[in-house]
Amino acid sequence: MLVTLSWLSQYVDLTLSHDELVDRLSLSGLNHEGSETVDGETVIDLEVTSNRGDCLGHIGVAREIAVLTEQKLKLPKVHFDESSVKVQDLLEVVNEFPTACTRYTARVIQGVTVGESPEWMQQALRSVGIGVVNNVVDATNYVMLECGQPLHAFDASAVSGNKIVVRPGRQKEMLQAIDHRDYELTPQTCVIADADAPLAVAGVMGGASSEVSDRTSDVIIEAADFTPLAVRRTARRLKLHSPSSFRFERRVDPRGIDWASRRVCQLITEIAGGSVASGVIDTAEGIADRDPIILRLSQLSRVLGIEIESETVQRILSGLGCRVDGSHGDGGAESNSLQCVPPTWRHDLTREVDLIEEVARIHGYDQIPEDAPIPVAPSSKRPFDAAMSRLRGVLTSAGLSEAMTPSVVTKKLDVSLSPWTDRPAMQTRTAMLEGSRRLRRSLIPSLLQSRAANWASASLHADLFEIAHVYLPPENSDDAEALPAENYHVGMVMGEDFFAAKGTIETVLGRLGIRGKLRVETVERDGFAAGGCVAMTLDGGQSNEVIGYLGILDESLVRSWKLPGTVVAAELSADRLVELSHLVPQQQAVSAFPSVLRDLNLVLPEAVRWDALAGVIRSAADERLTDLAYQETYRNEKQDGPERKRVLFSMELQSLTGTLSGTDADGIVENIVTACEKQLSAVLMR
Amino acid sequence: MSLQNFLRRLDELQSDAESAFTGASDSDALEQARVAFLGAKNGQFKDVQKMLGGIESSDKRAAGMRLNEVKNAINKAFEQAQGSVGGGGDAQIDATFDPSLPGTRPTLGHVHPITQTIDHLTEIMGRMGFEVAEGPEVEDPWHNFVSLNIPEDHPARDPLDNFYLATASVNDSDRSSETGEGQRLLRSQTSTVQIRVMKSDEPPIRIISLGRVYRPDAPDATHFPMFHQMEGLLVDRNVTMANLKTVLRVFANNYLGDDVEIRFRPSFFPFTEPSVEVDFLWNGTWIEFGGAGMVDPNVFKAVGYDPEKISGFAFGLGVERLCMRRHGITDIRDFYSGDLRFLQQF
Repeated sequence: MLVTLSWLSQYVDLTLSHDELVDRLSLSGLNHEGSETVDGETVIDLEVTSNRGDCLGHIGVAREIAVLTEQKLKLPKVHFDESSVKVQDLLEVVNEFPTACTRYTARVIQGVTVGESPEWMQQALRSVGIGVVNNVVDATNYVMLECGQPLHAFDASAVSGNKIVVRPGRQKEMLQAIDHRDYELTPQTCVIADADAPLAVAGVMGGASSEVSDRTSDVIIEAADFTPLAVRRTARRLKLHSPSSFRFERRVDPRGIDWASRRVCQLITEIAGGSVASGVIDTAEGIADRDPIILRLSQLSRVLGIEIESETVQRILSGLGCRVDGSHGDGGAESNSLQCVPPTWRHDLTREVDLIEEVARIHGYDQIPEDAPIPVAPSSKRPFDAAMSRLRGVLTSAGLSEAMTPSVVTKKLDVSLSPWTDRPAMQTRTAMLEGSRRLRRSLIPSLLQSRAANWASASLHADLFEIAHVYLPPENSDDAEALPAENYHVGMVMGEDFFAAKGTIETVLGRLGIRGKLRVETVERDGFAAGGCVAMTLDGGQSNEVIGYLGILDESLVRSWKLPGTVVAAELSADRLVELSHLVPQQQAVSAFPSVLRDLNLVLPEAVRWDALAGVIRSAADERLTDLAYQETYRNEKQDGPERKRVLFSMELQSLTGTLSGTDADGIVENIVTACEKQLSAVLMR
Repeated sequence: MSLQNFLRRLDELQSDAESAFTGASDSDALEQARVAFLGAKNGQFKDVQKMLGGIESSDKRAAGMRLNEVKNAINKAFEQAQGSVGGGGDAQIDATFDPSLPGTRPTLGHVHPITQTIDHLTEIMGRMGFEVAEGPEVEDPWHNFVSLNIPEDHPARDPLDNFYLATASVNDSDRSSETGEGQRLLRSQTSTVQIRVMKSDEPPIRIISLGRVYRPDAPDATHFPMFHQMEGLLVDRNVTMANLKTVLRVFANNYLGDDVEIRFRPSFFPFTEPSVEVDFLWNGTWIEFGGAGMVDPNVFKAVGYDPEKISGFAFGLGVERLCMRRHGITDIRDFYSGDLRFLQQF
């Protein structure tokens, strides 16, 4: 909102310097965004919040200055002579759309001479960036900038049937606006029409056909109240935002409409001549007083933490236009309260707390002290945050960097890979970035995209992870209100080595104190190489729920991102990890007795996986097998025959109660070998 | 040979050997001395050892013990001397060794700067008793708007300012087709979490809610359609704006590490009344920090609290903006690029 100092000074004495003034305005609610000098006028740009439509005119801003500097606001006296012609004889107004137009007033001025407006008015408009048109239009704009009420002047000769109809637009109805572009109207559009055709889009823009021009002699002055929602939707739909629509969207003073209408008649007759027909056509005369609000003075200190004297409170509220009565009620407990009737231009004042804010902002928030500490209270880190902090520690130690990527992805990303669900992704109505509408079901595609971008821009092999929500669509997608299962996942992409990724995950599990062995089951998932993807679960008393997926990505997917080599990706359910974690380690006894190391080299059928072998070894040994470590596999068809492999592993044997003898160790190993021979057709290589 | 002579000979040998070893200036000299005294064939020690055979058998035991002692002492003296001339041949550092070559660094990943900022903020607020609370990002209009005192005709609900979700069914006869609004949306603020917490818990409440929020802004250096918010909420009996100002000043002093001045400017948010913008005076300029205010009575009513008995304050700030200021980051889009050249700097 641009205001000029000279214009303001018509309504209030400017006793403060420019810098002091803008500072006080900023700290009382009209934030100063800048000042400049235009044609010798100081123009100030103030930010007006959406609840303060009353400050979208110079008088509103002047009222704020008056109350800040303890002065009385000076409003111009409105006076003009009315002719003997009655307005009702010249014009009829029908309001067929009261939900969009709550009050419509019209006056008629006959015999105006349209021409240039006087220099003072042109300068006033130019300094705040409003284009100069002619004396009639300029006067309507001037009054809008004075009091915030948008006005419109119609050329009466272009109004067919001497009739103004406020009504919904009709299907396929068109209007050429004063910008000479055609706009399509709808039944949701409030239009101002004559007996035949639309003349204007209510509250948004006038029409070309009834524009005031050099040939105009009689004008109809519209001053009305159009409802914010109707104006906003129309302005948005037509992409037509005007100073008028801006003000209607923030609500005008329903009572001030008549003042504005009379004020513009006064100015037009002064600068363009003509005579005003007597009376006014008004669809909603007599705007009622606002409901009174009781302000208990004790509430001021309860909310603000400071006491403010009753006289100060009364001065502030009266200065803002409230009718304040400090002596209402019948004394007693109630005497410590004020009854306030807020002015009709302050739609934002409806409750006690609204008045408290008014008092506080004018009295000054700098009066509120900063020495009121809150009582001490314990707080602790959530297990989730503690667990994720450890997880980040492991992953960054393993060389992965944390990325953050957008939650809404393109179709291309979404369909490339979704190991957790086959249900289609939920979508937004408006695209977020580059056509992204889909709420992601996996973090891996986004990380793969980032890895590809790193390779393309800097030939970097980016090993990345991300901790973020995935949005698994609800089972019943027809239910418009069902929310998705929103879970925290940990996604990772890394280069080449499947086992490096798996080892990193195993380390994460260990660091989180997750008990139970990691178990993998080969599964088929789109986006992963066939046979190269596993679902991960945990062994040992824990549930069989999948905690994540790990695998080598499908080569064609990797190539489609123009990435070289192999990419290994994994995604874990962070929520599951936290549930299974034991973040407070419990000490385990360490054996005081030496351990014995034994290596074994078994020839096994190719089909026997390590987890099967390890399972047989563990069940054949007893608790004295304290560690089982895989060493290597090699194949020699000439020696061992086809479909056979040699697996080397070492075992640590130890007892908690005594030194293990060689014979004890031999016994354990013997059991293991026998079990492997029997159950896995293993052959021991000596 | 008498025991006496034998022992004297041993003492001589020990002192000769010790002085020869200490006197050796380099490893070659030491090696010569070693051969002379400890040499397996003609070493002096070997010679003396042979003399043991000529000792009376009754004295042999004492002589043997002494011989062993001297042997150990000479060996020890040799080892010491060896250490002082630079060790044995195998441990010798190659003359080409260049300790000024760069170290071999482990490959470490980096924690995202937004995560680091969030950790920092939660740690400061944690010390003031605020605990982290979270909620879903996909919300219904009740939590995102209605309960936050944002009524149906409010501009904040406009489809152009929100990411409403599309419904799977094509049956759009409901009002959503007219207004473009839907029954689910990506939350536009983390205040939704405050509502969820107040719905489930009773005062006192002291939480910060953190997370991603979404608004359809065209991306540029300072805007991105997804960003992070941190919101604080304190609800109790007798909470005032003075408490709010105090908490924010303590926070600012902690985060900016200096005695920071703070000021309130009136503003407007539907869910607080009074509402203020908070500025910090930092390095001589007022910096916008975020919005704050006293929780609006309508919000308390929506969650079933009695606004006559309970009061509270709330504040919210953009995590990206604080992070950018702290680290001198000039383009918000860098956060979400996944570009290692950016991530590695933090």
